[in-house]
This record gives sequence, C-alpha cells and structure tokens, in this order.
Amino acid sequence: MRSSPPIDRLVASFKRLPGIGEKSATRLAFFVLGMPDATVQELANAISRLKHEIVLCEECFDLTHETPCEICRDEKRDSGKICVVEEPADLASIERSGSFDGRYFVLGGALSPIDGVGPDEIRVAQLEERVRRGDVHEVILATNPNAEGDATAHYISRCLRPCKVRLSRIAYGMPLGGDFEYADHVTVGRSLENRRELE
Amino acid sequence: MRGIETEALILRSVDFGESDRILHLLTPGSGRLTTIAKGARRSVRRFGGTLDLFNHLCVQVDFGRKTGMARLDQARLIGAFEPLRIDPGRFALGCYLLELFDRLAPEGGNRADMRRLFDFLLDALKAIAVWEPSLRLRTLLELRALDALGLRPELRNCVRCGESAGRTAEVDFHVADGGAVCGACAPRMEGLLRVHLGTLRALEQGLRLDFSRLDRLGIGGQSLDEAQQLISRFQRFHVGVELRSERFLDRILQQPRAPEL
Ligand SMILES: [Zn+2]
Ligand SMILES: [Zn+2]
Repeated sequence: MRSSPPIDRLVASFKRLPGIGEKSATRLAFFVLGMPDATVQELANAISRLKHEIVLCEECFDLTHETPCEICRDEKRDSGKICVVEEPADLASIERSGSFDGRYFVLGGALSPIDGVGPDEIRVAQLEERVRRGDVHEVILATNPNAEGDATAHYISRCLRPCKVRLSRIAYGMPLGGDFEYADHVTVGRSLENRRELE
Repeated sequence: MRGIETEALILRSVDFGESDRILHLLTPGSGRLTTIAKGARRSVRRFGGTLDLFNHLCVQVDFGRKTGMARLDQARLIGAFEPLRIDPGRFALGCYLLELFDRLAPEGGNRADMRRLFDFLLDALKAIAVWEPSLRLRTLLELRALDALGLRPELRNCVRCGESAGRTAEVDFHVADGGAVCGACAPRMEGLLRVHLGTLRALEQGLRLDFSRLDRLGIGGQSLDEAQQLISRFQRFHVGVELRSERFLDRILQQPRAPEL
C-alpha cells in the first residue's frame, strides 16, 4: 500500500491503542481521512482535552472531571462504608451492579513485589489517613480475587486493625483468578453481599 | 514434540493485550517455560481461577507453532498455598523465591537437575506455608535456593588454597570468590567479611537440614545477623541483578507482627 508520513504517523499512534494492530490502524487512519473536517476536529479535541480535564478525586482517587467526584459529594450515600478497589474500572464495575451505597477508595493497583510494587506504590497510606480522619465504620476490601489482590487485602487489614473499623473481604462468588472489571454485575453484587469479616 | 502434559508451578503472571495472560512456569521436565494463556482474564471458564501465583498445577502446553510462545491450553489445580496469600510476610517470602527462580532457573537442561529444582521450590513453598515468616526462615531459604540454583557458598574450605578455613573462632569470607578464606590467605586479600565460625557451621547445617525440621537449626541473635549479611551480599553479587521483590521483603520482615486477635 502506498503511504505518506502524515498517514504513517496516525497509523503509528493508533497502533499504541490496545487491541489495534497494523491492519486496523491503517483502516482507521483512512477512515479518518474520509471524515468531514468538523468531525475530525471534534475527535482531535476530545482526545486532547481528555488528559487536561480528567483529574483524580481528592477523596477516592477515582478519575473525575471535578473533585470531589459525584459519588464523594452524594449526601445520600453512606460515608461510613468504604469499598476499596484496585482500579477505576473495578469501581465502575461495582457501580454498574448497583449493589453498593457507600463510598469508594481506589488504590491504584495491588501489591506485586515481583514488579516492584510495594505499599508505597499504591495508596495504602492515603487509605489509612482517610479511615482515621472520617467517620468510617466499615472497610470492604474488594481487590481482585487473585494472589496479589488477596495479599493486598490482608496487608491493608493489618494496617487498619488499630483503627477499630469493621474489615471485610468480598466473597468468592467472584470467580477466582478473574479480573473484577470483567465480572458480570450479578456476580459482583453477590460477592459484595456475601462479604465476610476478616479476623 | 507438539503438546505435553506436565506439573507446573506459576512463577510469574503478566497481563498481555486485552484478555490474555503470559505465565512463567517452572516444570519438572523442562525447567522454566514461558507460555501464553489466551483469554485467561476475560473467561474464567477455561482455567477456572487456577492461573495464580504459587499455584501447583497440572497443565497442558502446546508447542504447535515453531515460532512464538508455547500455548497453555488447560490447567488443573493440584494445590494452592493459601497461607501465602493471606499473610503478608509469607507472601513476601514466596514472591522473593519466585523471582529468584524466574531469573535464574534455566530453560531446560539435564532432567534430573530440572526435577530437583522443581521439587525444591515445591518444598520451599510448603515450608513458607507452615513456618513462621522470619528473618531466620528467609536466610535459610535464600541459602537453599541459591544452592539449588547452582550458587552454593563454600563454607568449609579456603576458596584460595583449599585448606580448612575453620581453624579460628573468627573466619574471613570473600563474597566475590564465593567462600571462606583461611588465615594464611586472608592477609593478601581485600574486601573480606569477618564472621564467627559458628555462623558458617550453622549455615552448613542449614544446607543439609530437611525442610520439615527447619526449627532445629540453631541460629539466632548475632550469628543470624552475620548469616543474613553474608547470604544477602553473596546473593547480590552472584545473582548480578537486583531482585525487585527484595525491598518489600526487607520491609515486611522488619515490621513487628501485629498481635493476633
Ligand atoms: Zn471521589
Ligand atoms: Zn587459604
């Protein structure tokens, strides 16, 4: 196929996206080329504004366009219950299930010593601070049900033990080894309902 | 060889693309093996939550294509090490051993050697599940792991002249040369680490001890500090790369354990 630097540049950019190979990237690039100017401008704007306008919520560290985020500002939600998740996608998955009426905390990952991820690389200290500061009475540890997620939950529960809050771990209605973000909402709901207290 | 069925231990698991997972396995027949599990993150039906760190599995691996990675087709759980998932100290120790093996275990080799490596790691994970995670256990397992991987410190004879190095209450140890140094050779060498003879003897005993009797090892206090120093320096020098999981392990084992409720 004949090509030119501007096309190559866009193809190279598309290829950085997940699941996009050379063929799809090329197809997308030619599709963009055929789009009306205004639509292309809109797309380019949306992409470049995304990074500027999305920030981390100062309370829960979810991605939001204003901080505190909508969930953290919602008076109807129970601020005494915090559900701790690894990533924003996990929070979204639990929200979709509609089975949780408390607030959240996004750790930004799980302990993974082999990847050099220790407590300082995720937000363990910030979570501790949040629990100490607020009127929190229950912390639900909804990290992924795999070895790293389990270890993270138990590490956090040890750190929070002096805070005298109820600590619980999501139940294994969650498929073992699965990623939270891929679980269906019925499963997510059930695993929250059946959470069990950590000793 | 197209496909094989084998026992395996999961050394490392890395997300790949949108739904796949790359798994580093240790197998008793072929040593370290890198495989790809297609769709492992999205569909749990196929692997049913077996593809997790520390897990002892029976797997089917397909070497179909000549190029590229072997494909993990099926996995059945033989055993999981639950205590390593729920106790941060055990988790840290387990991860450290996995990383050591992930870095150093060979990809294939003499069958008996590969079997020995596999059996060692399986026994070591069992030991971590049973024994209290401590500096003592760490030092001992580190020594044994290095030994299993072909990096055994010389604890008895002088690495320079071969004479017995243990004729005095204190003995010099040369990290780069990998062992003890006798009183005659020591004055001509630099960068020596001085330890008590008792420390070397305790480590020697540690090399022979059965995993089910690790509590019998008479090491503690000053000699544990010395042993830990020695093994840690030896490891850093001879492994040659910094192990990323070491920082977490250092931190966890220094933390006093919270009182059990
Ligand atoms: Zn928020
Ligand atoms: Zn000598």
